[in-house]
Amino acid sequence: MMTKDDVLGPLAAARTTEIVVTTMGTVRPWGRHSSSALDFASADSAMGHAADLALGLALAQPSRRVVCLNGDGSMLMSLGTLALATAPPVPNFVLFIVQNDTYEITGNQPVPGAPRVDFALLARAAGFPAVHTFDEAAAYRAALPAILASPGPTCVVVRTVPGNEPPLSRGSHEEAAYLKDSLAEAAHRLRATLAAGG
Amino acid sequence: MRAALFLRELEAAGVTDVVGLPDNSSAALFARLQHGGGRIRLHTVTREGEAFALAAGLWMGGARPMVLIQNTGLLESGDSLRGTLMRMRVPVVCVVTYRGYAKMKRVLGGPPAAIDPALLSRNDLDSVALVTEPTLAAWGLACGRLDSEADLPKLGEAFARSEEQAQPLGLLLTCDMVADA
Repeated sequence: MMTKDDVLGPLAAARTTEIVVTTMGTVRPWGRHSSSALDFASADSAMGHAADLALGLALAQPSRRVVCLNGDGSMLMSLGTLALATAPPVPNFVLFIVQNDTYEITGNQPVPGAPRVDFALLARAAGFPAVHTFDEAAAYRAALPAILASPGPTCVVVRTVPGNEPPLSRGSHEEAAYLKDSLAEAAHRLRATLAAGG
Repeated sequence: MRAALFLRELEAAGVTDVVGLPDNSSAALFARLQHGGGRIRLHTVTREGEAFALAAGLWMGGARPMVLIQNTGLLESGDSLRGTLMRMRVPVVCVVTYRGYAKMKRVLGGPPAAIDPALLSRNDLDSVALVTEPTLAAWGLACGRLDSEADLPKLGEAFARSEEQAQPLGLLLTCDMVADA
């Protein structure tokens, strides 16, 4: 098993021009690794739909890779997204599923089916051509550059230990730069950044 | 309402993507988009909540999407509409086909002023029609109606107003779309 930092640190180091969409338990941890204008927190937003939003970004920005840091609980809320990403395939879409088997934000209650649910199998069954599973940090670090350079859609399942992230909010009290503004301001700013060639 | 005319209005409004789920009222437009929709891309979703989030992402990425779903699916997708298009102030037009409208108009003359729970189980009414407009009002999505081809210019107007206000807007489609004769 890995920690979230084992997953996010190497990703932040390898990241270049990718848009990164976070949600739930990855929002604040990613904010400690990155303050890019191409980061977007699906926080104070629709429950379980961060991957759909990221997929929309990928469809609109075909020359730029879009990485979604989804959770297992969020993924289970919208499994249809796995089919959307492959029909037709969206090659610049990279879907991370951070599987800690719990609803971390609400106190680590177990998600249905945990730990049996095999997200890699679900992604393959939906037609993802590139699917990877990691539960060990060194193997993940070694494979990540090639994963980010290969055509997708790509699904990366990372098995992590549960964290202890409290509920999300937005405002000046939040440490992460991308949580300081309202969701509307953040959405409009990312659109402007991309329009300017971000 | 001829699907070809509807599509022409979308093209004139600069729509780049249609995101939604077909029903019998919109099937002709989906077929047209699927088999030669011109510049407009079609994204068929598995649940309506996906449509609002996908449309929000498309818009953030620089596209001009439109959402096309049925009122039954709209009821399923409330948190997604609230948490994406509304919360993000995304200027997207949502066309919602109005299942049960004709029956409601015939039996009650139009949407009831208030919903008596007894209405919801009446066999001569489709309960989804009864709750559609009150739900949209409760969720804060301003809506107009498309009753016939004569209303098609409302599409372009809705896109312009939506941009101006930086808010999503709804249009309730009360008639069926048909393939070209």
